[in-house]
Amino acid sequence: MLKMTHLSKVYRTEVVETYALRDFNIDVKEGEFVAVTGPSGSGKTTFLTIAGLLETFTGGEYHLDGIEVSQLNDNARSKIRNEKIGFIFQAFNLIPDLNVFDNVEVPLRYRGMKAPERKERIMGALERVGLASRAKHYPAELSGGQQQRVAIARALAGSPRLLLADEPTGNLDTQMARGVLELLEEIHREGATIVMVTHDPELAARAQRNVHIIDGQVVDLAEDPRFHTAYTAAAGQVRG
Amino acid sequence: MSVHPMIAALRKHKAGVILIAMQIALTLAIVCNAIFIIYTRVDNVRRPSGLDEANLFLVTQQWVGAPSGDDPDSIAKLDALEREDLAALRAMPDVESVTPTNSVPLLNSSWTGSVALKPGSDLRGGTARTAFYFGDENELATLGVRLVAGRNFTAADVVNRAMRDQRQPSLVIVSKALGDKLFPKGDAVGKAVYFNGDTMPTTIVGEVERLQVPSTSSWSSGFFWDTTIAPIRLNANFSRYLIRTKPGRLEAAMRAVTPTLYKTNPMRVLDDDSVKSFADIRSDAYRADIGMAVLMGIVCLILLAVTAAGIVGLTSFWVGQRHRQIGVRRALGARKIDILHYFQLENLLIAGIGALIGIALAIGLNMVLIKNFEMSRMPIVYVLGGLVVVLLLGQAAVFVPARRASNVPPVVATRSV
Repeated sequence: MLKMTHLSKVYRTEVVETYALRDFNIDVKEGEFVAVTGPSGSGKTTFLTIAGLLETFTGGEYHLDGIEVSQLNDNARSKIRNEKIGFIFQAFNLIPDLNVFDNVEVPLRYRGMKAPERKERIMGALERVGLASRAKHYPAELSGGQQQRVAIARALAGSPRLLLADEPTGNLDTQMARGVLELLEEIHREGATIVMVTHDPELAARAQRNVHIIDGQVVDLAEDPRFHTAYTAAAGQVRG
Repeated sequence: MSVHPMIAALRKHKAGVILIAMQIALTLAIVCNAIFIIYTRVDNVRRPSGLDEANLFLVTQQWVGAPSGDDPDSIAKLDALEREDLAALRAMPDVESVTPTNSVPLLNSSWTGSVALKPGSDLRGGTARTAFYFGDENELATLGVRLVAGRNFTAADVVNRAMRDQRQPSLVIVSKALGDKLFPKGDAVGKAVYFNGDTMPTTIVGEVERLQVPSTSSWSSGFFWDTTIAPIRLNANFSRYLIRTKPGRLEAAMRAVTPTLYKTNPMRVLDDDSVKSFADIRSDAYRADIGMAVLMGIVCLILLAVTAAGIVGLTSFWVGQRHRQIGVRRALGARKIDILHYFQLENLLIAGIGALIGIALAIGLNMVLIKNFEMSRMPIVYVLGGLVVVLLLGQAAVFVPARRASNVPPVVATRSV
């Protein structure tokens, strides 16, 4: 589903080159729930933005659902984002001027879908996240957890092949975070491929597989004593 | 792209929407009416006078020491001076025709009165208003107007008249417009009319195709083409000579006329303003109209520029305000062109609302101008033209900020600040 090989991302200024990702390799199979963890500045968000075609990369290869994306133009990348990827952001990123229904509708409109199908998908997605009765509410009228559920409904409405979640519970309290996480697990059980970026070890432990990034590279925690203790301990607590 | 979510979003920014819509509405209302005023003025300026303007010039002069009375002796002396001048002018090599006259079209020096079909009608009872031109048997040839019915004056028809003489001429030539107004069947020639409430009839002996009144002011608009030419040589201590030159000899004749008149009789006053080409007369006559048209044009341009700047400003503000939102839309699959179209359609909606209000204001403003300033009814094409202009202006103004919005990268959606 998602395969990056020797991928690099370099930010250049006049005086300095900064490698956000270096010789980055990852392979996410269809139906997997992968948590990408790492300390701040390790490159996890850069990985997510490249995985979601929000940003281009400097070198290497990236195959998404069998398509090599490095040569795609902006329109083609937009189309893939719209049809194959669902985004869940830490800050929810709902459009405050639109009500819940219209927010969920945004990606479907860019797909050129007919109104009856849009309505069916929107209401289906809202029912799935338990917010069908809030369709006419505006984001400001909802709690943080509800807003994130709307964002998940927006991501699900388009039936994406891949769900990318960037710290999906980062702005939520424990109770709300638990609800959102349970929803993601449920979506995964139904067959969705989910890649979730987080620096919360407890959250990462709920995923099927953990990928750890340090200094722009994927590392094997078992072989890296610097982070072994923190992550494995937390994972053990959750699993135990 | 659907307008429903856009309208829903605009409801959240009512103040900005109302301000820009009202600015567009006022611009449309003012620009429509201003363009109509400009067109009316330009149309006035471009109205053909019916004269051979390219070869005409006018000389106005005053004799020094000439009699100023209305008695027969004074008139005889003044007439002799005028005949002497006319003979000298007609002898000039570049001159084709000369007539003494009281005024010419566009000179804004009018002799006006009433003309009726019945004797003794006062001004209010007059059938029509008319402006008078006095001249001799050469008047028509000098003006260059075309006789379309009846006959021209002969030398025998021409009479002398003192400044304060109230007698009406026994025969006249009228413009076809006046003839048709008095006699709608088109048979004015040979008919008797009564000028200025007089009981003495005047016979219409001819009709000229087209001759406008001297005034270019709005008060004369009701009888702009209703003119009367009388075979009168006006005798006063000043005189006006309308001179038609041979084709292309206008400047030479104008240079020679002052020395010629001084040579004939040095006891006269001829200053720089005494000799005027018809082009200068036209220019003087319409200076205010042209000035008004230019002023209106500048006002229109300023208004349009201010409106465009307002749209650019508001859209730029909204682009800045929605920077992250645009990034989210891009992340969710919007192409650059979708973002561009979003802002263009949004502007079209606002401009459309403004334009609808503007149409009502434009018509209302025109009605006020009709009521208070004798303006004519503005044809709907001006409103439609204004509508197209403001909508296109809106689209042009929104393009740059909308393009900037379309270049917001989708990665913005993941940034926390």
